[in-house]
Amino acid sequence: MTRRWLPTLALLALAACGPGAVFALTSSNDNDPRALADALAKRRLPEAPSPLNASHQPRAYVVESGTGSAGRQLVSFDLAAGKVIWRVPADVQSRVEVGGDFVVALEGKKLVARDQNTGAIRWSASAPGPFLGAAADAERAYVAWRDGARYELVGYDGHSGSQLWTAPADGILGAPAAQGGVVYAPFQNQWLTLIDGATGASLARVRGLDEVISTLRVTTTAAYFGSPKGMFVLDARAATGHRASATYGTVKVPPQLEHALYGPDSYDPIQLAYTAADRAHVLWQAVPTATPGPMKLAGDGYAIHYFRYVLGFDVDGNLRWAYTQPRVELVSTAHTGYVIAGISTTGDVVALEPQTGAVRARESLGGGPGEHVLGATFDADGWSPSSQDEPIETIAALVAIARDHDARFDRVKELAVQALAKLPGPQVTTELLAVLGDARAPLKLKDTVGELLVARRDPASLPVLVAQLAVHDDFLTGSEPQALAQVAKAIGGLGGTHLDGTQVAAALAALQSHLDAATTPVPDLVVVIGAMAALGNGAEHPALWSHLLLYHADDAIGGDAAWDRAIVRALDEHGDAGERELLRQVAADKRTAPSLAAAIHDAIGA
Amino acid sequence: MVTALAVAMAVAAGATVSAAPRKDAKGQLADLQPAIAAMADADPEVAAHAVEALGASDLPAAHDALLDGLAFGMPGVVAVVAIAQLTKHPAPPDVTAIIRYAHHRDPSVRAAALTSLAAYPAPEAQQAMIAGLHDPAGLVRAGAAGAVARAHVRAAIEPLFQLLAKGEDPAATALAQMADPELAARIADHLGQVPDAQLAECLGGVLLRSDFGPDPARVEVVRALIKIQDRAAVDALGAYVDKTPANPPRPSRAEANRYLTERTPK
Repeated sequence: MTRRWLPTLALLALAACGPGAVFALTSSNDNDPRALADALAKRRLPEAPSPLNASHQPRAYVVESGTGSAGRQLVSFDLAAGKVIWRVPADVQSRVEVGGDFVVALEGKKLVARDQNTGAIRWSASAPGPFLGAAADAERAYVAWRDGARYELVGYDGHSGSQLWTAPADGILGAPAAQGGVVYAPFQNQWLTLIDGATGASLARVRGLDEVISTLRVTTTAAYFGSPKGMFVLDARAATGHRASATYGTVKVPPQLEHALYGPDSYDPIQLAYTAADRAHVLWQAVPTATPGPMKLAGDGYAIHYFRYVLGFDVDGNLRWAYTQPRVELVSTAHTGYVIAGISTTGDVVALEPQTGAVRARESLGGGPGEHVLGATFDADGWSPSSQDEPIETIAALVAIARDHDARFDRVKELAVQALAKLPGPQVTTELLAVLGDARAPLKLKDTVGELLVARRDPASLPVLVAQLAVHDDFLTGSEPQALAQVAKAIGGLGGTHLDGTQVAAALAALQSHLDAATTPVPDLVVVIGAMAALGNGAEHPALWSHLLLYHADDAIGGDAAWDRAIVRALDEHGDAGERELLRQVAADKRTAPSLAAAIHDAIGA
Repeated sequence: MVTALAVAMAVAAGATVSAAPRKDAKGQLADLQPAIAAMADADPEVAAHAVEALGASDLPAAHDALLDGLAFGMPGVVAVVAIAQLTKHPAPPDVTAIIRYAHHRDPSVRAAALTSLAAYPAPEAQQAMIAGLHDPAGLVRAGAAGAVARAHVRAAIEPLFQLLAKGEDPAATALAQMADPELAARIADHLGQVPDAQLAECLGGVLLRSDFGPDPARVEVVRALIKIQDRAAVDALGAYVDKTPANPPRPSRAEANRYLTERTPK
């Protein structure tokens, strides 16, 4: 036996002293503030966010799938230089965990560590049973396995792969996380055990009293734990186990993005690898607070990555910005503290400013056409690129979302149009109208847009709405009116606002063109009449009279109760005595449709 | 312009309104009163008869009564008759009234209105007829095509070509009626751009017109028809040969006949 094995043996002996104490089902030492503070103080953390890798350069470790005989590949990508460091064949079946000078992942059935500089295999370890998750810090790798009926957490030396310690557990272990020499191990959905990475000794244990502990998120300077309900900062206050007395935070996830979570479920075997769950999650960064209280979000906001989209919100849940990845989905995203980094299925890397959504960097892995990114781990804490200076295109992004023909995102489209509708100006109205004119847009979305157009009440949009009315049924051009009822309703909704007289006249003329059009459906006529009455202040009466007289004896339209009520109400509202007399004459006309006559009697009396 | 509202309010007040001068209006009205009253009958048949009676009258008051009736509105079936009666004594005020019905929801009313507008040279009448060529209803487009042909609305030629390209027979007929040698040549140039059958029908219609000529122009039309592969071209040439006397001899007829003879199997 050589001298270099002696420390390992000593550690193993130490670990063997009391493994049962690490994951005990008793709760006597739970939520000990002193133990937790000591455990947290034991971490060796950088003063500022920084990549964990030895060169401290921002990197992404990307898993690609190849085509044909080419299997999966693992790629090390230098985010600062925008170039691939290495690309090696590797049957990666888990997330990639980043250590100081190595990366580790489940490859096939083995835990494999690779040299960070070359991608060459440094060591591997056979699995005693199903893999439950891995973590790494500068010096070590940690893996949770299931061995028959037992669970165990094992520490490995990152350089040699030698097994340092084993901590068995009688209950379910979740995927661990590691930070500065301390391992965070979720246990039984209830506990988070803090373990000395060097020895495997238990340092402290947090027990969730208000909610389960199923999610971990660790950066180089901060750690969080929680559940789909919310996240705790892993600080000394976490020892209370209660939300109210801990540094706890939640964000408002819009119902349309209901699948977005705070992070992977540590207990879900599916989420041990990169999955669709990585494409729908919350991106946030907490800032330290001087006084105890709830979690405070950096920039008073957060973002949600949702497949192709990244949406920025303020703490009240109001949309601040939107970004749409061109053509394909973003498969992985991470908050570096300064940017939101993401990588798409085609290997395009993007960095977004968290406050505004401005694109700060665009890079590419330059993979072949058959290569497809399955997922990535960013080791990029503190990355703050500024190579790109693209204008912020929130409206364009929201429009792209709204007009995305992918049926999976119908609810997101509703969120997009709702956000769009809150923005003033004719450009937004034009875009909303384009949704109405899109033959492939879902009907429910069109209904929503119609309602939003009415609710906007944006006087500046009147010319745009009027322009929309320029299209009529035309056999030769094949054109037909688009969303006439919604547009007319939106114009009518502007009644009572301050409008330019010339624009009102143009609006009345445009509405009249549809009032007079032979093919306007009767339900749309009802809306057009209402809009003219809302806007015209009496100027619309000659057109409405002409319309009423033309059809008062026409059973097809004069007998429509909604039309009857609309036209009579519109003429009676601003009508003078002469006009009321004429209404009586119409009602008395033997040819007048009975329902129209009744409507007139209802309005002005017998 | 007399607006519908003004007319209607005047009608409601028991008077008639017209821009046309009138003579002895009181006496005329008395004679026409039964027909005027019947025009507003709830039975469309009775009303239509009354409208016809008014249309048959030479009295200006009868014409005014028809205009008033149209201004106040009437069932579509009666309006169709009334509009036709107006054209028996066309007057400028008719145009506004008829154009109002050219937008009626009932296609048969629109078609009748457009047909009647051919009797009026007013620019707005011509615009309405051209607009009718864009109507979604085929019946209305046919009415408009007939109207622009009768009124020789040159501005309608382009939309007629567009309709021809869509295979619309009324457009073929209309172009045939309107064609002079220059337009006939333009029609012939549309070989390949419009359906062969409609092109043949159109050129055949040109040939059958007694007022189309001179004969060298007819020869060009015959040659254009010969280039068309569709059976309709042969039929058109056959109809031309059949309906044109052999004497005095016409080169165009001779060329058509020669072509038909040569393609007949021996």
